Order: sequence, then structure tokens, then C-alpha cells
Amino acid sequence: MERIKILIVDDEIDLISTLAERLALRGFQVETATTGAGALERLAENGFSVLLVDVKMPGIGGLELTAEIKRVRPGLPVILFTGHSSFDDAERGMQEGACDYLVKPIDIEQLILKIRNAVGAKEGFQS
Amino acid sequence: MNDEELRRLREAELAFFGRIAAGISHDMRNVLSIIGEYAGLLEDLAALAERGKPVDLERLKKVSGSVGRQVRKGTETMERFSRFAHAADEQTASFDLAGLVENTAALAQRHVAQAGCRLEVELPEGALPVRSNPFSLQRAVHCAVDTILSCPKREEMIAIRIVREGPGAVIRVSGRVERGTDGELAARIAQLSAVLSELRGSLETSATDDTLCLALSVPIE
Repeated sequence: MERIKILIVDDEIDLISTLAERLALRGFQVETATTGAGALERLAENGFSVLLVDVKMPGIGGLELTAEIKRVRPGLPVILFTGHSSFDDAERGMQEGACDYLVKPIDIEQLILKIRNAVGAKEGFQS
Repeated sequence: MNDEELRRLREAELAFFGRIAAGISHDMRNVLSIIGEYAGLLEDLAALAERGKPVDLERLKKVSGSVGRQVRKGTETMERFSRFAHAADEQTASFDLAGLVENTAALAQRHVAQAGCRLEVELPEGALPVRSNPFSLQRAVHCAVDTILSCPKREEMIAIRIVREGPGAVIRVSGRVERGTDGELAARIAQLSAVLSELRGSLETSATDDTLCLALSVPIE
């Protein structure tokens, strides 16, 4: 079975590097981007299975990035991270096309479940 | 000030306080999330060690150092927020204007960064003692930064400079912006003028071809 390839997009470098290491220890192939623009550049080159995107980022924010991803790669699942305990951002993100969301701090087991669900749904959709 | 004006003022002050508190809450959640990830990584490394993988001491030291950095960042954020919040304790207090502006600017950094800009603060040498309303002064500085942020920008930098002038001090907030004014800018400037009136200060707005400068004059006593 092909390894799930993930792109994590967040301006908090410490967060994404540590999360990437933890996901890699669990067998995922992980790349990171610290800006929305950087994520869009990477998207053009690489075959990602799923994107994990923080809602609040300078420049292209997570909601704007989600909308752009849905425009250029409609089948690519996006899971949002939000630092707000209110669900407004998450709901807006789902309206933009995100398939799921997580409120920080991130529970890694819950995240992996959501990643597998998202990739499974995408593969089911494609088959 | 009549009752209606007072009510509107209190609402605006509460909204300002809430906005700063929400930003701090977001920053602290990020700090805790990062510490949580490092704790999770240590658990992962411990689990690997139990299964026979040698412990990488250098990796552990690096994680420990990173956790320490996040704790210091969180502590500094909370200390800044505490200074901000305690400014509401008294209507009139003696304080260092430079310190207050520096703290206000630091608290505004993330909000400014979210808009794709950065703040640069130039402080006078030494303290600049004033007797005024510290909470309203914080609000005035924040309003000025927001006013510049609301304009279409030519450059990402917003500058804050404090100088002693005559019997008072002037806080200059400026940024390179596109020409032209609209209703929103006029409303923001009017709001900022009202805040400065409460402080017995004044606002001078100057615009060149590409720079908008808001000069906030405040009396020292």
C-alpha cells in the first residue's frame, strides 16, 4: 500500500516540525510549509494525499488557502487546525471545502483517524 | 460627555480589551500546543527506547531547550498581558510612556503580522514619565496602528516613534500607503481623535504622496 503523503501548513515552525516528526515515526511521509504561498508552490510539484492547514496564518490564511486548493485540486482533502475554541473558523473552513478540522492542542491519535478517514473517503470517491 | 456617549465609549473600550484578550488566548494556545507536541514526541522517543532503539541524548537536549523557549515565550506573553490589563486599574496613573507604547506594540505584533505587516518601534533613550490614563493611551496607539493597517499599503512596515515635544510627548505612527481616503479611514481618524480628546491630547494627520502619519500628542502631566 502506498504511504500517505501529508503536507502540513502552519507558520509555527516548532509545531509543524515536531508534528511532522511524530507523524513520520508512525509511517507517514510528511512535508511542511510555513506559508500559504509556499504550500501552493509545493502542491504543483508533489502528489500529496492530504493537507493539514492552520486557519490563522499571515499572508494567505488557511480559509483562503483551502478555497484555492479546492479550485486547483478539488479532490485533495484538507483538514484544518484552529487555535480558537469557537467553531466559527472551522465552520467557515468546511464551507470553503475542508473535509474536517481539529482544535489545537492536537491529539495525534485523533489527527491520524481524521487523516485516514479523509484519505479513505478520497480513494472511495476516486474508485 | 452625555450618557449615550459614555455608553458608547465603554462599549468601545470593552471591545478593545476583548480583542487583545482574544489575541493573547490564541498565542497562548499556540504555545501550549507546541509544548504538547514536544511532550508527545518525548513519549514517542521513550516508546522507541523501550523497544530497543538507543536514546539520542542530543535529541532530548534539543527538545528540552525548545520546551524551555516556549515556556519563556508564554511567560513573556502573560507578563505583557498582565501589564496591559492592569492599565485599566486606575483612570489616572503615573507611568513610563515609552514602556507602555513598547508593550502595546508587542501585543499588537501578531495581529499586525496576520495582516502581512510588521511593526518597528523607536523609543526615546530613557524613561518618559507621564501622568495620564494608561488604558486609553494603549487604545489610542492600537487605534492608530489599526488605522494605518486599514489602508492599502505600499510597504509592509508600520513605524512607531515617540518624541518629547514642548510640554508633552508625541507618538508618531506612520506607514507607506496608497493615496486616497475613504469613509472608513475618516471614521477611524474620528474615533482616534475622540480617544485622544479623553486624554486631553490631540491628533494631527499628515499625508504625503505615499505616507500617512498620525501624530498623537499627549500632555506629560
